[in-house]
Amino acid sequence: MSETLSRIPAGMRYYSGSEARFRRATENVMISIFDGWSYEEITTPTIDYYSLFEHGMGHAQAHHAFRLSDTDGRMLAVRPDVTSLVARAAATLFAERERPLRLCYVAPIFRQQPQSHAEWKRESMHIGGELIGANSDAADMEILIIICEVLERLNLDRALITLNDVEVFNGIAEQLQLRADARDEMRELVDTRNASDLERFLASYTSAADAKGLAHLIRLSGKRNILTEARRLITNPRSGLALDRLERLWSVIETLQLPNRFEIDLGDVSRLDYYTGLTFKIYVSGAGTRVGGGGRYDGLTASFGKSEPAVGFVFELDTLTEVLRQRSDGSGLIDQATSAKKLTGHGMHDLFAAARNSRAAGERIVIGPRDEVQ
Amino acid sequence: MTQLTIAIAKGRLQAETLDLLSLAGLGLSSETVSSRRLAVEDESGRYRLIFVKPADVPVYVEHGIADCGIVGRDVLLESEPDLLQPLSLNIGACRIVVAATQNSPPSQVGILRVATKYPRIAARYFGSRGVAIELIQLSGSVELASVLGLADCIVDLVETGNTLRENGLKIIEVIAQSTARLVVNRASYQLKVDAVGQLVQSFEQIMEVSVE
Repeated sequence: MSETLSRIPAGMRYYSGSEARFRRATENVMISIFDGWSYEEITTPTIDYYSLFEHGMGHAQAHHAFRLSDTDGRMLAVRPDVTSLVARAAATLFAERERPLRLCYVAPIFRQQPQSHAEWKRESMHIGGELIGANSDAADMEILIIICEVLERLNLDRALITLNDVEVFNGIAEQLQLRADARDEMRELVDTRNASDLERFLASYTSAADAKGLAHLIRLSGKRNILTEARRLITNPRSGLALDRLERLWSVIETLQLPNRFEIDLGDVSRLDYYTGLTFKIYVSGAGTRVGGGGRYDGLTASFGKSEPAVGFVFELDTLTEVLRQRSDGSGLIDQATSAKKLTGHGMHDLFAAARNSRAAGERIVIGPRDEVQ
Repeated sequence: MTQLTIAIAKGRLQAETLDLLSLAGLGLSSETVSSRRLAVEDESGRYRLIFVKPADVPVYVEHGIADCGIVGRDVLLESEPDLLQPLSLNIGACRIVVAATQNSPPSQVGILRVATKYPRIAARYFGSRGVAIELIQLSGSVELASVLGLADCIVDLVETGNTLRENGLKIIEVIAQSTARLVVNRASYQLKVDAVGQLVQSFEQIMEVSVE
C-alpha cells in the first residue's frame, strides 16, 4: 500500500482487542451509574457552529478545534467539547422542562494538540454528566459522589479528587486590585505552583509575611487543615464565601467517611474564565495525566439566552481504560474473550440453520474458515 | 513505600544537581554516580534517578514516567511543557542572550537572520518587539553562525561569556535569566503528595541555609 494510504494522521488511532473491550466495559459501567442517578443520555451534533464553542469554552480553548466552512460560508467546528452543546440544548430544546436537568453523554471530541505534549491525542472519548438548574451545595455534592461511585465500581483504590473554588483566587486578585495582565501572571504562577516567583510577585502588593504564607499555602494540598490555614491568611469576604462552601462540602465528605478520596488544592486555577465556583480534578495512580475533572459553570448558559446555574464533570475514557488495562487482574470488569463454538461444514443451508439455533440458545459461535464450508 | 523517580539533566547541570540531591539526603555513593547506568536507585530505595538529555527532562516528567525533574529554565522556556514548577534552585545560573560580532552592522531594514538552538524563545522575543526574523535552527556551536555570516545575530545560553569573547562576540541584550528548576508531574504532585512535599521541603531548607 502506498504511504499516503497506510499512514494514520497524527493524534488518531485504532482500538481493538482487549483495549476495545475495556473501553466498552468502562463505558457500560458509567452509563449504568448515570442511569442509577437518573441522568438522561443525550447525543449531540458532531459538527456545529464554531461561534457556539467560542462562546462556550472561550476563545483560547475553542481555538484548538478542527474548523471547516459551511456552504453559506459560516465557520463550523468538529466538536471540541460537549458541555457547550449540552448547555445550548438546556437553554433551547429543554427550556420548558422542569429543573434541575440531569443529562449525561458519551462522545468523542476532537482537538488539535501540539505534538510534543503528553496529551497528544486529537480524538478522545469524553463521558460526562451535567446537572443544570440547581445552585446548591447539594448539586455540587451529588456530582462528587457520582464520581466516587465511578472510581469504586472500577476498583480504582488509588484515586484522588482535588477540590478548589475559583472564587478563592478571584477574591485575592480583587483584594490586591490586580490589573488584567498582573492577574494572568499570578494565575500562571499559582497554576504551576511556582512558589519562589509567586512570593516575589506578591511582595509588591502585600506584606512579606503574607506573601510567604500565601505562596506556601497555594503550593500545598491537604485535608481540612488547608481550610484552617487559608482562613488565617485570606481574609477578604469573596474568598471567605468560597472557603465556606468548601468547608460545607468537606464536612459532608467527612460524614460519608470519604476524606481519603479527596484533597483540597487551592492551587488548581487552570480554567478561571470558564468556572464560577467549585472546580475539581480526578487523578488515578498509573496515569501520568488527570483522568477527568469538572466544576460549576454558572455563566455558560447565559450565552445561550437562559441564565441558570450548572455543574458538571467529564472523564477521559482513554486515559482511564489505559490504567485499567495495565492492571493484569482486569479488575473483574470484563470477561476475557471466551471460547466460541466453531461451526463448519454441512453446506451453507445446514450451517446457517445450525448457527441460528446456537444463537437462539445464547451460545457464542464462530463460523469456520471458508474452505471448511462446502 | 512510595518511590519517586527523578529525571536529571545530563551535562552542564549534572554535577551540581547530584551535589544538591546528596545535601537533600539522598544516599548516592560515588560509585553509583560515576557509573554509566542511565537509571540508578539511591541507598534507601526511595528515589530512582534517571539521566537524560536536558531537553528530554520535561518529556519524561510530563508523561509521568518520571515524577520530578531538575532542569534549566532555558529548557522550560523553549518547550513550554505543562508541568508544575514549585521551586527555583540556586544552581546552574546563566543567561539567555542575543549576541553578535563586535563589528556587526546595526540591524538593517528588512529581515534579521537569527541563528539559535532556541527557536521558540527567539521567535517570542523578537515577535514581542515587532521584529521580523528568519530563524536558522542549529544544534551546536551557534557562535560560529554569527562569526561566519550565516546569521546577523545569535540567541544562546551564556554562563561565563568566555566562549563569546574568544570568538569575538558581544552580548547585545539579555532575554532572560535562567537557573535550574524543580519540575513535577501534575498527577504525581497529587498522588505522591507526601514524598514530593518532603523533597521540596529539603530543597527549601538547603537554599535557606545557602542564602544566609
